[in-house]
Amino acid sequence: MEFVANLILATVRMATPLIFLSLAELYSQRAGLVHIGLEGLAAIGSLVGFLVSLITGSPTLGVLAGAAVGILVNMIFAYATITLCAEQIVYGMAINIFAPALAAFIYRVYFGAGSELVQVGLMSTLAATFGVSTDGFLSRLLLDQTPMVYLAFLLVIFTVIYFGRTRSGLNYKAVGEYPKAAATLGINVIGVKYAACVICGALAGMGGAYLTTCYANTYADGIVSGRGFIALAAVIFGRWTGGGVLLACLFFGFCDALQIRLQVGSFGVPYQFFQMIPYVATVVVLAIIGAKKAGPKGSGKPYLKEER
Amino acid sequence: MKNSNRLMTVLVPVLSILLAFLIGCIIITILGASPATALQSLWIGAFGNLRNLGTTLSRSTPLIFTGLCACFAYRCGVFNLGGEGQFLMGSIAACVVATQTGITGMPGLLLALIAGTLAGGLWALIPGVLKVCRGQNEMIISIMLNYVATLFMGVIYTNWLRDGSVPQTAAVPDETQLSRLFGLRVTWAFVIALVVGLLIYYFLFHTSQGFRLRAVGLNMTAARFNGFAVTRYMLLSFVVSGAIAGLGGGAELLGTQLRLINGFGSGYGFDGVAMALIAQLHPLATIVVAIFFGALRVGSTTMQAATGVPTSVSDIIQALVIVFTVAGLAMVKLPGFRAAVERVFRRKEAA
Amino acid sequence: MEELLRMEHITKRFGDVYANRDISFDVRTGEVHTLLGENGAGKSTLMNVLFGLYQPTAGSIYFRGQKVRIDSPAQAVKLGIGMVHQHFMLVEAMTVFENIILGDRNAKGIFINRDARRREILALSERYGLDVELDKPITEIAVGAQQRVEILKALYRGAELLVLDEPSAALTDQEVEGLFDIIRKLTGEGKSVIFISHKMREVLRISDRITILRAGETVCTLDRGATTGEELANLMIGRELAPSHYEKVEQPGEPVVSLTDVDYHKESKHAGLNGVTLTVGRGEIVGIAGVDGNGQSQLAQLVTGVLSPDAGQVDLKGSQVAQFTPNGFILESVSHIPEDRNKMGLVGDMSVKDNLVLKSTDDPRFSSAHGLHLKKRAIRNYARELQGKYDIRCASVEQEARNLSGGNQQKVILARELEGHPDLLVAVHPTRGLDIGATRFIHDTMIDARDKGCGVLLISADFDEILEVSDRIAVMFEGQIMGVYPGKNPPISEISLAMAGK
Repeated sequence: MEFVANLILATVRMATPLIFLSLAELYSQRAGLVHIGLEGLAAIGSLVGFLVSLITGSPTLGVLAGAAVGILVNMIFAYATITLCAEQIVYGMAINIFAPALAAFIYRVYFGAGSELVQVGLMSTLAATFGVSTDGFLSRLLLDQTPMVYLAFLLVIFTVIYFGRTRSGLNYKAVGEYPKAAATLGINVIGVKYAACVICGALAGMGGAYLTTCYANTYADGIVSGRGFIALAAVIFGRWTGGGVLLACLFFGFCDALQIRLQVGSFGVPYQFFQMIPYVATVVVLAIIGAKKAGPKGSGKPYLKEER
Repeated sequence: MKNSNRLMTVLVPVLSILLAFLIGCIIITILGASPATALQSLWIGAFGNLRNLGTTLSRSTPLIFTGLCACFAYRCGVFNLGGEGQFLMGSIAACVVATQTGITGMPGLLLALIAGTLAGGLWALIPGVLKVCRGQNEMIISIMLNYVATLFMGVIYTNWLRDGSVPQTAAVPDETQLSRLFGLRVTWAFVIALVVGLLIYYFLFHTSQGFRLRAVGLNMTAARFNGFAVTRYMLLSFVVSGAIAGLGGGAELLGTQLRLINGFGSGYGFDGVAMALIAQLHPLATIVVAIFFGALRVGSTTMQAATGVPTSVSDIIQALVIVFTVAGLAMVKLPGFRAAVERVFRRKEAA
Repeated sequence: MEELLRMEHITKRFGDVYANRDISFDVRTGEVHTLLGENGAGKSTLMNVLFGLYQPTAGSIYFRGQKVRIDSPAQAVKLGIGMVHQHFMLVEAMTVFENIILGDRNAKGIFINRDARRREILALSERYGLDVELDKPITEIAVGAQQRVEILKALYRGAELLVLDEPSAALTDQEVEGLFDIIRKLTGEGKSVIFISHKMREVLRISDRITILRAGETVCTLDRGATTGEELANLMIGRELAPSHYEKVEQPGEPVVSLTDVDYHKESKHAGLNGVTLTVGRGEIVGIAGVDGNGQSQLAQLVTGVLSPDAGQVDLKGSQVAQFTPNGFILESVSHIPEDRNKMGLVGDMSVKDNLVLKSTDDPRFSSAHGLHLKKRAIRNYARELQGKYDIRCASVEQEARNLSGGNQQKVILARELEGHPDLLVAVHPTRGLDIGATRFIHDTMIDARDKGCGVLLISADFDEILEVSDRIAVMFEGQIMGVYPGKNPPISEISLAMAGK
């Protein structure tokens, strides 16, 4: 029983960064920008989040700084793919190479070579902040979470409403589906795409910062460990909808949680086999769902204003 | 226009490199070192003497392999981002053959290299088959398999083939190693890399099959309409690109690394992608770019010793080169840019 | 009537090419003003300038007597200009309702007020007789209905001037009648319409005034009453329109390809085949007439091995086809000029010479040892030879195919496909978007191939082209062959009825 309870709690915690990253991808793709550089954005987000929370002592400021740097780096992607019409896949790779290198460099410069492990205090949970006891399973699940967890779930609800019910959300979707049609209706296609990159950068940066301010209390190269790519799979699995993405993230979060729990249990199997679970699950899920429904029609294609 | 296009393919990467170095110098200045000293020590560290040159070539060797791996796959339009996983599977297979079978010397060496090549190719077959049969995104899958391969290597060196208290495998026996060239760090692996590069170049640009493979990569629909077996070419390019990475993994293990250990091969896959893209998917140019990045890495160690600038500045420069090159190549393709260039040319002609 | 819009001395240049050169014309309130011209005459470019999609290189626009600068579609919409593009600007993943309210600037609030919006739309649709099903996704409604959605979209945004770019191109005759009723209703309510077309009959029926464009320039503006179809045609083409140039073959040779009761996705009316039986003999051109999207693409892909049929039999040169692969058909000397030359015919990033030998690099002429070594010099010489023979205008055969003009790209494909002396040539919209010279060249070449004994299956949405070169004419409608007619003295009215499904 304890095992199951812990598993569920861990699932929520592990799904949170994935939700941030998947929503980042969702907002990007809904505007027609396939972004495979989230891994990189999350990496720089996690480092800056870590540094700022170390310097200021405030994990919240760390998360905000992570969002800011995510936006900043993603503006490179935005300029290259929207204005210069560079290939999105290729440029996403460039971000994946650039952003982690930058993060690693800043870390080395700040702490010098061969320094010892630096740790920061984690963001406190709601229960801890308000001094509520967390004895029962439900109170642990609902109250003993960092504000980031609540924020992630609120963002999902917001996303569902935004794309389903609002005028602005409808226009946003049109940009990803058929930018030329959107333009003829007076929608500012380039503007929406840039806005999408701001949202995407912020969410990806926060997703990265979550890892260093709410999950692990230190930064290490490769801390994102593929979550940026799993988020891509989650968006496909979630069929480009807010609700679907949430379910997909919970599933992948569950795989991650299971992996950690099983490692503790050991069972005499090399722990690396358990660590493979989220990655193998991603491959299996993608293999099973196939490519029946593709995403927004305008995805991946550059938008040139005067095209003949 | 044709000539200016060709000019751009060379000019853009060169300008990107210069720009990246310029920013690198600014960073070095901010860190309080002299850029001149830093660059000088970088140069000496990489090419200053025969020994350093040997080290540079040695460091470049695995990068050449993963660069060629990416290059070959992208030429056929499949985005194999799993170079790292295929490289590792290759090195694992080579390690098992070299240390476990008891076959040593030349037969063991050859067998280990073949095993590495096969392992890399098979590992690449997974995303290849899933793409061709299930229409799935090969990028995500190949990346996921990178993590799986890294973890699998972990199982090998911490558990199954662990040698002693330190988590690592036993070293490849002396007589099964790829020997060094002229007593330098660089081994026969480098020669193998060059040969593979030349073979790929020949295949892509001088054979009918390679011609078709490129056509598939450039326009899959047209290739299908013109009777090419598109799926076969895509699978082939996946397997061959994986095999190249796998061979690279084997060669690196047998020549330089000698044992599996934590962190081995880390980042080589994405580095290879970067190099192939900077080289615009030309195999021979990929080799040049890989040597350039190898030099940057080796030289930065000397630079750190001389000026205290951390070696990771070389990673920044490398990353900036790719950021600038890809953006620059997109920019020169913009209609507005072309028109501007034409205007300049015309003015010159008029003058 | 007062003047609503005036465009003065509009020039639009793309690189070196003038799409519009010093064009002037005006539209009065409540009139239908037609822009008549061939493909590439500059009609669409001019309208894209009006709609703010392109910026004119020179010239000015006056709307209601005021000089205006239209730098975005939003600006055009604000002025009261609505446009129905030739290729509909509808988001397929959304419903009719969502498409209409998309980008709406008049509505207030963050959320979509569905009930209020619906009432407004229904009121409009009733007033102008624009019958649409609001909750259907775009993909599930017919082309005619999609067009009504587009018109409704423009009216919903308060359009006073409606631009209809080739609105009849994809419609059946019956749907065209419906469209004309709508246009009359619109002008009756004081709206103005710019009607773009190259079909004389329609133009004479619906227009008040007609402005003729040729090669990017205005020829003249005429009142409908003061002109005839012949005069318009001559002004449009710039020379006398002659009857078919070509001798028609009445007795074809033995069959090259014959289809018997072939089905492919037969439940799909727009992308399927239903019980198709058809034969193409040696030395004849069989033209498939019909509105685009009635299964023609599928027919073409089936007789070139790209698709395989669900049922029925296909015989090639007397023996039944078992395996449908493009390569199998190529080996049987079937050539294909596909409908989309950039997407399906050419590898744009490869050179002209590479595209010319695309299928034949294994040929001993071009490589030794079964393709193990390409003979680059032989390929180059061969390409230069074809360049001259097919009049391909390019700087060099090393030039990338994508940088050629449409006509020259098509000639590259033609050269590649005909050089192997095929037994069957399947040509789909071979002259779409080409100028008169290139069109003529391609027709001549096809006739020449026919006379050498090649069977030709010509699929074209351009009825005039079908009439010009076909020896027999088959009509397709909703995946079925409606009838086969002789190409010599064809019964035109009967064929038109068949194209509309009657």
